[in-house]
Amino acid sequence: MSISTAPAAEPAAATTPPAPVRRTRRFRHAREWWFGALLVLPALALAFTFKLVPLVRGVTTSFESSSGFGDSSFAGFDNYTRMFDDPMVLASFRNALLVVATLPVWIVVPLVLAVLIHQRAPGWKFFRAVYFIPYTIAPIVVGIMFRQILAPDGPINALLRTVGLEPLALEWLNGRNSALFSLVAVALWSFFGLGVMTYLAGLATIPDEVLEAAYLDGAGFWRRLFSVVVPMLRPTVAYWSVLCASGVLIWLFPLIYALTQGGPGDATMLPEYLVFLTTFQFLDRGYGSAIGIALFVFVALISVFSVRHMFKEGTRKPR
Amino acid sequence: MFRRRLTGVLAAGVATAALLAACGGGGDDAADGPVTLKVLTWEPGGTEYWQQVKSTFEASHQDIKLDLQSVPFDKYPEVQGPYITSQSGPDVMANNAGLELFDRRGAYTPLGDKAAEINKDLVTYSGACEEFDTSKPCYGVPFSYQGNVLYYNKDVLTAAGLDPENPPATWDEFGAACDAVKKAGKTCLALGLSGTFPAYWDFPEIARNYLTEDDIRGVLNGTLSWKDPKLVQVLEKLAEITTKGWANKNAPSITMLPDGADIFQRGDAAFAGTIISDAVNWEAFGKALGDDKLGVTRWPAINPSAPLAGKFSGIEGAVYGVTKWSEKKEAGLKFITWLAGKENGELWVKYAKGQPLNKNVDPALLPESPAFKKIQELIAEPTLHAGVMLSGPEADALARGWQQVTLGQLTVDKWADQMQQALERSPTKKQGN
Repeated sequence: MSISTAPAAEPAAATTPPAPVRRTRRFRHAREWWFGALLVLPALALAFTFKLVPLVRGVTTSFESSSGFGDSSFAGFDNYTRMFDDPMVLASFRNALLVVATLPVWIVVPLVLAVLIHQRAPGWKFFRAVYFIPYTIAPIVVGIMFRQILAPDGPINALLRTVGLEPLALEWLNGRNSALFSLVAVALWSFFGLGVMTYLAGLATIPDEVLEAAYLDGAGFWRRLFSVVVPMLRPTVAYWSVLCASGVLIWLFPLIYALTQGGPGDATMLPEYLVFLTTFQFLDRGYGSAIGIALFVFVALISVFSVRHMFKEGTRKPR
Repeated sequence: MFRRRLTGVLAAGVATAALLAACGGGGDDAADGPVTLKVLTWEPGGTEYWQQVKSTFEASHQDIKLDLQSVPFDKYPEVQGPYITSQSGPDVMANNAGLELFDRRGAYTPLGDKAAEINKDLVTYSGACEEFDTSKPCYGVPFSYQGNVLYYNKDVLTAAGLDPENPPATWDEFGAACDAVKKAGKTCLALGLSGTFPAYWDFPEIARNYLTEDDIRGVLNGTLSWKDPKLVQVLEKLAEITTKGWANKNAPSITMLPDGADIFQRGDAAFAGTIISDAVNWEAFGKALGDDKLGVTRWPAINPSAPLAGKFSGIEGAVYGVTKWSEKKEAGLKFITWLAGKENGELWVKYAKGQPLNKNVDPALLPESPAFKKIQELIAEPTLHAGVMLSGPEADALARGWQQVTLGQLTVDKWADQMQQALERSPTKKQGN
């Protein structure tokens, strides 16, 4: 056998399409690009008009000082420095941190309920029929309902007294801590249906055989939940976590409005409600905007971890 | 040929349309039909009253039509705010008399010399004028009167061994009455402190015992410090109402309207301090308890010898004015002039069951309720209402501070500090504005 030193024929030359074909492909690519851009354009325009423009306007206003409905003047960083001396602002962000600390509950409770429904636990048909109802009730109506339910002589306390748990019959909305956590509990009641639905959609993608195999291997409910369901449902959990992290502070607004108006004192004051008060009741638009921007940064910081996690999950190659 | 004719017809059409548009452009001098006035209102007095306003006014003013834009009271600032910032929208709109109106005075046309003439038959209209001074610019027309009284349930007083015809007149008597009522198993004063409403209304009832009218103007201008002993004493007495156990325990977390009022209407409380017009007043309480069971009195005096102790802290209700940007100012002026008149005063009494400001309202039309008649007596000697002098941050800090003092989370001195901080944060009271 001899080895030839002659240059090999270039294979590329054999696969390079003729010029008219290349032009057609390039034209097709360009056309697809423009078509794609055209489809994205309405969403971009909407995002620009209704998200970016108000955000920029909010940032601009936060550097202004205004008096009532009169003209405003440039105030530099005054509105931002004022926040550090304002006990109400500090209290509102302290309360926001307490609310954020309840996030694990927001993530786990709907997951457990979704798995119970998915695994057809006793009463699953009833729960499947009703779990979404609280989410369909307007939050302001939920607030009005719970004002009665949580009243000192309301049904919750009546029930507690009937079953002999009188010491637990608190004045739910009257205490410094009980008011905030009652508010969060009401919000969770109002929004958990959305979480259950999200998880049920994710659970539908897990093959039944996997859960059955775990069951036959003797895995109990919690073992199946944390060793099988959660790992396989990671993207869905991440999605719901991001939604909760960014939404939990904002979802509470109508409930605060209807239930506590931020009180008693500053016990349930959250930054978003304070933005509303400062802007519309105190007519201090610049300061209200500055608090709003601070809230935006706060929520962005909380969300960034979850978003990063979700991005990693989304870009992970299948094994 | 045809194309030329078509062009001619189109040109004529365009010219006609332009002419019509110009004529219908909304000026005061529209000769082709009635002028339509856009009126922004939260319908104080109720929808039925406003329907009567529209039909009665239009019947007597064939050249003006009213287009009412009704907005719920709690949404009103959100709707009105953008109109003011964009300097466009309704021809006539309203704000509550006092600081709320003054904050927005740039949106209204000052009435100038006409103010005195338009408002000549009103008991008072100073709440529509700068610094509550009728010699200064006035921006609109009120027609209703508002303020706070102490309603009481005669049956509860009787059951507690008290004389319902002689309700407590002094602070000490009130304390003794509360002890008796509590012993009888009822709440003394039905109170809801959530929101700014009760603090805003109850504050002047105490303040009258310590402040003069000049002091109250000092509160308005932001020149009277909240660390001033007079104001600190007012806060101390407000705190006593709840810390002495005179009110229901859950007061900090419930609203006065409807929650606090409900306690009173159910017959579970002896007293309720609330308003004389609009929502939940003598009429609602009379219906719930029976007119003969409902009593009305002034808040108990702390310093009976104080110059304002025996007066009524009254404030005009909604003030309607013509907007600065309106192109129909003349029609707008006709409408608000009519609002101040006797005809509207009588509609206000008949359909809104409110206290009229017009002095010429036929007395035969006034309700027969003994409570209403007593209120008529009490309001005869009015003074400035210290509550409406508070800025938004002050009213908010007053309410939240009262809640915290009640729950033992704040001392009165700290409350005064917070009030002073709120005053300094008030954009409309910044000195030099």
